[in-house]
Amino acid sequence: MRAPRWKIWAGHVTLLALSAAALLPFLWMLGTSLKADAEVFSPRLQFFPARPVWENYPRALAYIPFARYALNTLLIAALSAVGVTLASSLVAYSFSRLKWPGRDAVFFLLLSTLMLPAQVTMLPVFVVFKTLGWVGTFRPLIVPAFFGSAFFIFLLRQFFMTIPQELSDAARMDGASELDIWRRVMLPLSRPALTTVALFTFMGAWNDFLGPLMYLNDDTMYTLSLGLQQFVTQHGAQWNLLMAASVVMTLPIILLWFLGQRTFVQGVTLTGVKG
Amino acid sequence: MKRREVLRLGAGALAAGALGGCGRRRSGEVLLRYWTGWTGHELQVQRDLIEEFNRSHPGIRVKILCVAGSYQKVPIAIAGGDTPDVCSAVWADQLYGYAARGALTPLDDYLARWGRSLDEWMPGVRRMLRYNGRTFALSTTANSTFIAYNRRIFAECGLDPDRPPQTIAELEEAAEKTTLRDARGNYLRYGLRPGGLQIWARVFGGDWYNEETGAITADHPGNIAALAWLQRWFSRYDIRKMETFEAGFGSLEASTGAFYTGKTAMWQTGEWAGENIRRYAPHLDWGYFPLPPPPGGRKNCVQLGGSVFVMPAACRHKDEAFEFLSWICGHYASRRFCSEIHNIPPLIEAAKAPEFQRIPLMRDAIRLAGGQNAFGPAPVAVWPMYQREIQRAEDRAIHGGGDPAALLREVQQRVQRELEEAKRYAVY
Amino acid sequence: MRSTERRRNLRALAAGLAFASPWLIGFAIFTAYPICASLYYSFTRYDTLSTPHWVGLQNYMRLLTEDELFWKSLRNTLFMVVFGLPASLVAGLALALLLNMKLRGMALYRTVFYIPSIVPTVASAVLWMWLLNPQIGLINRLLALAGVQGPGWLTDPAWAKPALILMGLWGVGGSMIIYLAGLQDVPRELYEAAEIDGAGGMAKFRHVTIPMLSPVIFFNLVMGLIGTFQYFTQVYVMTQGGPQDATLFYALHLFNRAFTDLQFGYASAMAWILFAITVLATALVFRTSARWVYYPGEMRQ
Repeated sequence: MRAPRWKIWAGHVTLLALSAAALLPFLWMLGTSLKADAEVFSPRLQFFPARPVWENYPRALAYIPFARYALNTLLIAALSAVGVTLASSLVAYSFSRLKWPGRDAVFFLLLSTLMLPAQVTMLPVFVVFKTLGWVGTFRPLIVPAFFGSAFFIFLLRQFFMTIPQELSDAARMDGASELDIWRRVMLPLSRPALTTVALFTFMGAWNDFLGPLMYLNDDTMYTLSLGLQQFVTQHGAQWNLLMAASVVMTLPIILLWFLGQRTFVQGVTLTGVKG
Repeated sequence: MKRREVLRLGAGALAAGALGGCGRRRSGEVLLRYWTGWTGHELQVQRDLIEEFNRSHPGIRVKILCVAGSYQKVPIAIAGGDTPDVCSAVWADQLYGYAARGALTPLDDYLARWGRSLDEWMPGVRRMLRYNGRTFALSTTANSTFIAYNRRIFAECGLDPDRPPQTIAELEEAAEKTTLRDARGNYLRYGLRPGGLQIWARVFGGDWYNEETGAITADHPGNIAALAWLQRWFSRYDIRKMETFEAGFGSLEASTGAFYTGKTAMWQTGEWAGENIRRYAPHLDWGYFPLPPPPGGRKNCVQLGGSVFVMPAACRHKDEAFEFLSWICGHYASRRFCSEIHNIPPLIEAAKAPEFQRIPLMRDAIRLAGGQNAFGPAPVAVWPMYQREIQRAEDRAIHGGGDPAALLREVQQRVQRELEEAKRYAVY
Repeated sequence: MRSTERRRNLRALAAGLAFASPWLIGFAIFTAYPICASLYYSFTRYDTLSTPHWVGLQNYMRLLTEDELFWKSLRNTLFMVVFGLPASLVAGLALALLLNMKLRGMALYRTVFYIPSIVPTVASAVLWMWLLNPQIGLINRLLALAGVQGPGWLTDPAWAKPALILMGLWGVGGSMIIYLAGLQDVPRELYEAAEIDGAGGMAKFRHVTIPMLSPVIFFNLVMGLIGTFQYFTQVYVMTQGGPQDATLFYALHLFNRAFTDLQFGYASAMAWILFAITVLATALVFRTSARWVYYPGEMRQ
């Protein structure tokens, strides 16, 4: 890698400048979470308070049964991520690497399920889960994940279609079944995409508000985002506590992403070796 | 009593099947599901009250669930047939829509059987809880409307702090005198931002609905006069400049709130302002007065609203549910709840309690809320849409400069049509 | 000969369906009924609480002929599709290209740029209300430093939508990551081969990066299209459609009709009109895709 020196510098400068903009909200969240009640709405532009109020954190966490909500959220998010990644990659394989009559029509049907606003399907979906007797359990929030998500099926299809056909053909010559090809060729070669899918699903489930609200009828089963909502009291919000809770809620995802993106790099080396 | 035992047995048989995951209950107890939209301190007080109810009512166990933060949960649960037994996550504004569609249990028979009467509630609240000749809700909180003013600023600007405005003309004068601009014409302080066509229309003698004829009266001359007055107000004070100035306001939940720091001389608010000021601006020298009317207008107007308690039609244990409803909206619970959260009790007896009466602000707020000019939402099924249309007309009149009469005529036509249609399908 | 071919076809169909079965089964259980139900509701007057009454095409007729807010919200939404969507597509790609450079500390940069998409909506909405605050907001303060009097942003009907687009740019982290995953998948040999052919940076970008990335661009375009047509959460939290209906987007109007007014039939009709528009737009994009989307996996077909 022999990128010119000026390019490296230009890259760093641009990235640093943009980082500041991107970090702004998080810093603001962090700063607000450490402010005293009266300081929150100070008209002066001040990100961090002179004297940080660390007590906001224990105060915020005491507000709701935090550990329990975190555990509930983790359970839902982790299972959803596993389910969506697994099922979507299988289905995406069918839509990208297998030729079968009617495939493209079915694929468009799959896409079109995303085009109807959720507001109007929410009620009939509720009726479905009610009929199944699942309302009041975690099942409506987890089980559908194991049938794949149209969004991620589309995403993985796009990635699978960039993988050269020769690789599958070579495996097929060696007598590999389609399932083998999916498992041994497709999955290893699309690690960045799979990571993205898992991460997005995890994050979506982690932050989901309406789903848990709709289907959980017992506050011992509530999730963090529902707990977060409880902070917003009737006459406005206690922003410092809200932000403290938001920080605690956001940190795991930041960490997960920071660690998860390692697989991005590994994905590249693999492609390099095999191609 | 027998009836309840039968119900209990029925509930026992149902527990395994229909109730599923959410109906775990101890034997011999009726489990009531209660949903509320209150959060924070209010929620905690509700929890405490419910614990007390559960202790004192051995046959019934109420389980509270906070469902705040979304419009969707309650209608979908009702539509999907998975309702709570008692629900206070319903705004007065939504009440008539639910009632007209048959989603709620009429409470009149239950009130009579439990020896309660709607007459225990303040007259305005009483009207608010009824729809089309039936009672569909009870309430445990009420509120009042008035204008708070900064006595120091009044005195500085040559106004008598002991004689706050009593007419619209005096209000206009006070606003003009207390407004302060810098050399470039930007605000350093303004007098008042009057808020809400809905209530000001009442002040101007207007009305939103005629119960006798069953007609929408959006273009009532009083409503038009009120909107024209608001429009004049905001063109005189330049709404954009006001909003630019307001953008720098802190929340009224902190000591930097605009009224506390003297950025506004007056503040249209409710009785809860008292607690806020005590907490965030304890040294503020302030007073309050009711919304002042124009000649021939209405004095002491109050906008009633807030959360109400209902019993969905699909409630499974109606007798027990009403027993709880009657208790939580009874004198004792209302008195305790309101004194904890600094609201005023809508129950006439509860409002006489010393903890409210010894605070002048609360006493006056109770008098206003209990007066003849306390108005709830217009009792029509299409009220949420009507309310949105009123707000749009207000927005368009004060921001876009539309003709008040024309705007309200438009609202009139649109809402009347929607109402006609709703009536054809109404259950109640 | 013929029967072997048919047998092969059947086997292909069986394999295809087998792999697609999770979604097919899920569709049958969870999705098919809600879609059909909402289509049915769109021909009824249905308030969610009582049984639906068949009214034929009345909802559709009323929407198209009487509801001025329908048209207004549609126009507002199209504004976002025409201006907001391309802006965020380009910004996401540019950012991903930057983050694909071989620089030290890249893991940290990538994390940083992803943060805006993680922050809970409530938190970021509050932050943006503050950033866009005409008087004390950071953006107008920076503009003032440059001697420019900033607009009223969310309080000004002319500036409210641009303000939302600006906010959208800040949240491109999601699509940025998808681009990034795509960039990581481009085999390095292609670049090396291009270099041997004497290609410069721009030529490599045009002839290697863009074609190899086109499936991902295509994905972001289609999903962006679908998502923009349903733009909702931000305005629901921040503006409720104001000022003067400037941010009344289609999905917000639909939400109001469905959940505030409990006009579920009417809202369903709105949903199906939006569905038709989205299908049309997506189909159009699909038809052009043959010309610009390059799939190495299908090379031999």
